[in-house]
Amino acid sequence: MSARVRCIVCSVGIVAVFVVLLSFTYMMSMPNFTDSERYLSIPIEASGASNRVAGIYLNTRLFDTLIEILVFSVAVLGVRYYLRHSPKVTLPRLSESAVVRTAAGILGPLALLLSAYFAVLGHLSPGGGFAAGVIAASAVLYVAIAQGMAATEARFSPQRIAAAEKGILLLLFVWVLLPLAFGEAPLSELLPPGTPGRLLSAGSILPYNLLISVKVFFGAWLIIAAFAQHRGDL
Amino acid sequence: MAIIVSFVLLGIGILALVLRRDLVIKLLALGLVNASSILFLVSIGNRPGGRAPIQSPGEIAILVDPLPQALVLSAIVVNFAILALALVFVMILVERYHTTDAQRIEHEMSQETDEEETPCL
Repeated sequence: MSARVRCIVCSVGIVAVFVVLLSFTYMMSMPNFTDSERYLSIPIEASGASNRVAGIYLNTRLFDTLIEILVFSVAVLGVRYYLRHSPKVTLPRLSESAVVRTAAGILGPLALLLSAYFAVLGHLSPGGGFAAGVIAASAVLYVAIAQGMAATEARFSPQRIAAAEKGILLLLFVWVLLPLAFGEAPLSELLPPGTPGRLLSAGSILPYNLLISVKVFFGAWLIIAAFAQHRGDL
Repeated sequence: MAIIVSFVLLGIGILALVLRRDLVIKLLALGLVNASSILFLVSIGNRPGGRAPIQSPGEIAILVDPLPQALVLSAIVVNFAILALALVFVMILVERYHTTDAQRIEHEMSQETDEEETPCL
């Protein structure tokens, strides 16, 4: 790109950003920029989830969430496929200090515990399946830093986890199509919403959170393992 | 204020995406654009005096709009997936052309195409 074209693009970009910025600042001065009452007017007894965000993405907009999980699965497949078919490189292992390895060894199990907490209580408090899955994958990464990639892969074998990841995806889709067997529309709620605030409440949101957390954990770990295998080690 | 910051981040991200030739910097810029959209979505759902949308039965409180927060969740996951996949493509290009310069890669790719199209006499 020549210097002149670069200058023009830069100027147009800056002007466009400021115009959009000013227009949105004006729009934000309006009292109701988003229609928050649309979802807040639905009583929490309808979904049974105290966490309204979980009530939206695992109940009202469940279809979006399923497609999002599908996008994530396709990305995991793509990363593993292309890394497997590209030539391997052997880079020198990044040697971590004893402080980092010891801290990672302590933090790993704690992060796994936090992940389980977020997955189980996602319908009552901040958290949920996606956050829990990413925390669990980070926990295993800590373990890999502390114990080495070979020892971690022996415990969390990518081949077995890849099969389990696809199995969980299948299970999620079977779960949302299960209402068809009872004469209901797909994505309908089969379990009762229960009393909001109790652990066993919010219908299918708790099982969804658990399944999604395991799914995201496996997917994120597969991505990490694929990159590590491609370069030889962490 | 958060909205202004989100637009500034968006501008920086788009400019870096268009003007920088390094593919890794382009990916970082894509991450910055995503972060700006997340900040924008969270800030438009804000309500004066509103708190996190976690409610007990019968409780009346000013809550922030939960819908943008649910959308943000999708944005984070999809961005993670896209960045991982894009990084793999960048790695393949770097292994083949030994550079992260997008212009040099394009130049070498066009040369390869020209060589393939040259008729064998």
